[in-house]
Amino acid sequence: MNTRSVARYEGILKVTGDARYEGEIVPDGTLHATLIESPVACGELLSLDTSRTAAFPGFAVMVSHADAASLKPSAATALIREKAIHFHGQPVALVAAGTLAEAREAARAIQVATTTRPAVTDIGQAAGSAYTPAMVGRFPAVTRRGDSSKALSEAELVIRNRYTTGVNNHHPMEPHAVVCWWEGSRAVVHTSTQAIFGTRAIIAHAFDIPATDVRVLARFLGGGFGCKGQLWWPWMFWAMLASRKANRPVRLELSRAQMFTLVGRRQQTEQDLTLGFVAGRLTAIEHDVVAQTSTHAEFSDSTAVYTRLLYACPNVSTRHQLVPTNEPHPIPMRAPGTAPGTFALESAMDEAAELIGIDPLELRMRNFADQDQETGRPWSSNSLLECYRAGAERFGWAHRHARSATKVGRWKIGSGMATTLYPAIRQACRARVSLRVDGSLLVQCGTQDMGSGTYTALGQIAADALGVPMEKVTVELGDTLLPDGPFSGGSQVTASILPAVEVATSKLRATLASIAVADATSPLGGKPPQDLELRDETIRSRTSNAGEPLVDVLARAAPDGLEAEGESPATNHQELAATGMGYGAIFVEIGVDPELGEIRVRRVCGAFAAGRIVNPLLARGQYIGGLVGGIGMALHEETVTDRPTGCIIGKSLTDYLVPVHADMPEFDIIMIEETDPHLPGGVKGIGMLGTAGIQAAIANAVYDAIGKRVRKLPIRIEDCL
Amino acid sequence: MSGSSFEYSRATDLDDALAKGGRCNATFLAGGTDLLQLWKSGLAAPQNVVDISHLPLADISRDGDTLVLGALARLSDVSAHPDVKTHHPMICEAILASASAQVRNMASVGGNLLQRTRCPYFRDRALACNKRDPGAGCGARHGENRHAALFGSAAGCVATHASDLAVALAAFDTEITVRSTIGERRLTLQELYPLPSATAASDSSLAAGDMITAIRIHRASRFAPRSIYLKIRDRASFEFAVVSVAAALRVEDGLIAEARLAAGGIAPLPWRLRGSEAALIGRAPTEPAFLAAGEQAIEGARPLEKNTFKIPLLRNAVVRALQSVRGGS
Repeated sequence: MNTRSVARYEGILKVTGDARYEGEIVPDGTLHATLIESPVACGELLSLDTSRTAAFPGFAVMVSHADAASLKPSAATALIREKAIHFHGQPVALVAAGTLAEAREAARAIQVATTTRPAVTDIGQAAGSAYTPAMVGRFPAVTRRGDSSKALSEAELVIRNRYTTGVNNHHPMEPHAVVCWWEGSRAVVHTSTQAIFGTRAIIAHAFDIPATDVRVLARFLGGGFGCKGQLWWPWMFWAMLASRKANRPVRLELSRAQMFTLVGRRQQTEQDLTLGFVAGRLTAIEHDVVAQTSTHAEFSDSTAVYTRLLYACPNVSTRHQLVPTNEPHPIPMRAPGTAPGTFALESAMDEAAELIGIDPLELRMRNFADQDQETGRPWSSNSLLECYRAGAERFGWAHRHARSATKVGRWKIGSGMATTLYPAIRQACRARVSLRVDGSLLVQCGTQDMGSGTYTALGQIAADALGVPMEKVTVELGDTLLPDGPFSGGSQVTASILPAVEVATSKLRATLASIAVADATSPLGGKPPQDLELRDETIRSRTSNAGEPLVDVLARAAPDGLEAEGESPATNHQELAATGMGYGAIFVEIGVDPELGEIRVRRVCGAFAAGRIVNPLLARGQYIGGLVGGIGMALHEETVTDRPTGCIIGKSLTDYLVPVHADMPEFDIIMIEETDPHLPGGVKGIGMLGTAGIQAAIANAVYDAIGKRVRKLPIRIEDCL
Repeated sequence: MSGSSFEYSRATDLDDALAKGGRCNATFLAGGTDLLQLWKSGLAAPQNVVDISHLPLADISRDGDTLVLGALARLSDVSAHPDVKTHHPMICEAILASASAQVRNMASVGGNLLQRTRCPYFRDRALACNKRDPGAGCGARHGENRHAALFGSAAGCVATHASDLAVALAAFDTEITVRSTIGERRLTLQELYPLPSATAASDSSLAAGDMITAIRIHRASRFAPRSIYLKIRDRASFEFAVVSVAAALRVEDGLIAEARLAAGGIAPLPWRLRGSEAALIGRAPTEPAFLAAGEQAIEGARPLEKNTFKIPLLRNAVVRALQSVRGGS
């Protein structure tokens, strides 16, 4: 397969508005729904008085916990089956009417009565209730390698600090939406989800119907970043219940304000990190994380997990603890764990370098881990050192001192760097590739494109394997009628679909070759099958000039076209011979106005090594998008709770600041190609890499510019004055 | 759509607009950039929306040394007008530091002066706000008050005024023409923005049915060579001021003959810094005078828990603004 910058498959559809997002599918007779939100952060729903509602024009149906009692109990249905109120703004009912305006008017007329109990709205308020979860994702919450306290007592240099990170919300451009209806006992669900098959499975479970009676569609997504998953399900269930109750299609779309409370967020962390060094080598690390979770469910990012393996160190203790509060529930957000975790670790490494008196880049190279520190396994491939070298050279790291703390206009200049990493993992995947008699190609996989380029990658992998141009490729995804594909999360989709598509296209190549060589009328007749290749819509002999157009072979021997399915397994973490990990080194130059506190990122250079790159154009977009998200986390984004009420403050994109174009500097992206013999297809995920590391790189650059060490995110004007 | 329903009418002329605007619970619609948000979040629930956007009140002209802005002039048109660029560069700078190009293409100068505060407690009906619901209390005073005022607050409200343009206008001799069915009157900017009442329920002295028709900026061109609008914010663009400073000097024989200073983001109204101005008069436009002006600017500041950083920020911003205009252009 080639590395090729194919333009976006769905680009024209999107820029012309012809891409139809699932929330735009509105059949005749659709009811429009709105949610009634709890005015208290902790308590119990007593009643919903609908006596005034029936008279409202257009009012059709209300559903609440009472209706959800018919759903099978599970983690996904708990919140909507119970009367308990866990956070301010928690929906207590859904109201559907002929128009959205009518639904809102009717909802306003419903009297909500609740009890109120004292709410915990700050992790500091409930530090005593901190507990250790069993797992953080697929990792243990607590680990201990060697004896860190002994090593710290013997270390030449000990650095001990607390780093804190704020709450962030995902805010994809497209808010969550569902349009659903029932055809008898079968459900059709158009919804913006990162996991159509996961959504299908949970619907089937909740409604106790066969999965085959549920069709979920998500053909276009306007972003996800982790929030279009399980926390959306309860509200989607309510829409489905309303549809069943009213026997009409129901449409529910979240408001921007509800995107702050209902679909997850990056959790707040307080991280105590201690590093011990002897002769510039790490001898001990202790990383304790306290983070917020909600009172109705448990979630912990893998914040300290990467501290276990980024550097060579014999004595490492890590621990995650959670404090439940009456605030919205957290969920993975782009670069989950690595973004807050590397902020602490890579800030601390910078602090250590200064105290040791060496270049922070040199300190990192000196402590490079040449194998997986936790398991002792080799890396499947690891080009981190090359990332350091290439990034430093392009950025001009060696010459940074000439610029540091100098002034350009009102800006004091500073440089900083940090490491980013993310595991390379895969999900099981099935894909179907069909070659039609006209030589066109249909590629089908039940995954979804979050906007990152899955349509293009899927199409181009199949096209390249069969020598068909992209213009003749149709890609179908985002529908559970297609073969089971991976959910869009954890930077896994390209790595998961590629092996499955390659299996399918290999089968087609073999079939085509055997047809061609068996046909005495073909110029390829009698040739050995392994001599044939597919290129430029032609089956060719590698060793002679013989060849025949693909369509001619198909017309003669396969007038109905050819079809093949491929399947590839998920990463089996128990039986790995090598640990797969993608890496990057991020270098930034910033300006700080020390009198006015303003910070501007002036240059970013990211050098990334993530296996084989299918499409450099898309990969560059992913890296830049990731870095912009990282800049937002570092300097702009923070979701704040009003402590007395538990209400999220400033639930709009006016108040929740994300980087605008003027905040985005030039991005210099270096991609270091790796050949990875251990990973099927050789692909590692790239989506997360840009969003971690850059936070610490910016904090380190702030220190370089003005001598202030900021150990909290976001870094604001008041931190630099 | 999200707000409550209303009657929409398009005014045929100014008299028609004033008559319709004088009805119960009516509001004027010009650019709609603030009204739309207020209506969507339920903070404005007018019964009658009177569209005045097409009325002939958008002229930008000079009358001697007075700049006259029709109230319906778009921010983008004002900032692009040659006379404004030449004679009132600070007004251009304040406008270009406001919102985004898309918003400036819609927003009118009259509406800009009457935009409601961005205090998040005001903007969310789930939070306590005296300005929105007199007597409900102020959630910001002991809550998230990073954006709150340092000066001029009433007991029941710590919100700040959001307009950049108003800060620039506050530095000059600005007169506002207001029409209603009763007739026409002219207010100074200080009269338009009085110190707030206890709950700060209104943001201006205008009554229901009043319409700003014109803004006159008198004798400001003499400051053109030495003026600046300096805005400090949390991101590079499309963001309200954390602190802003409008500064203008006139220097005669090497000494400051006149000084005009106003600040934004720190008070419930555009805040004229008269003490700082006094500290500059008769002195050389150099560091000692600027530092004195900076110190004067923060005199009497009353910070809350999370906005104390705005005190040194305001001081530094005043100094920086003066340093920037010192040499003139």
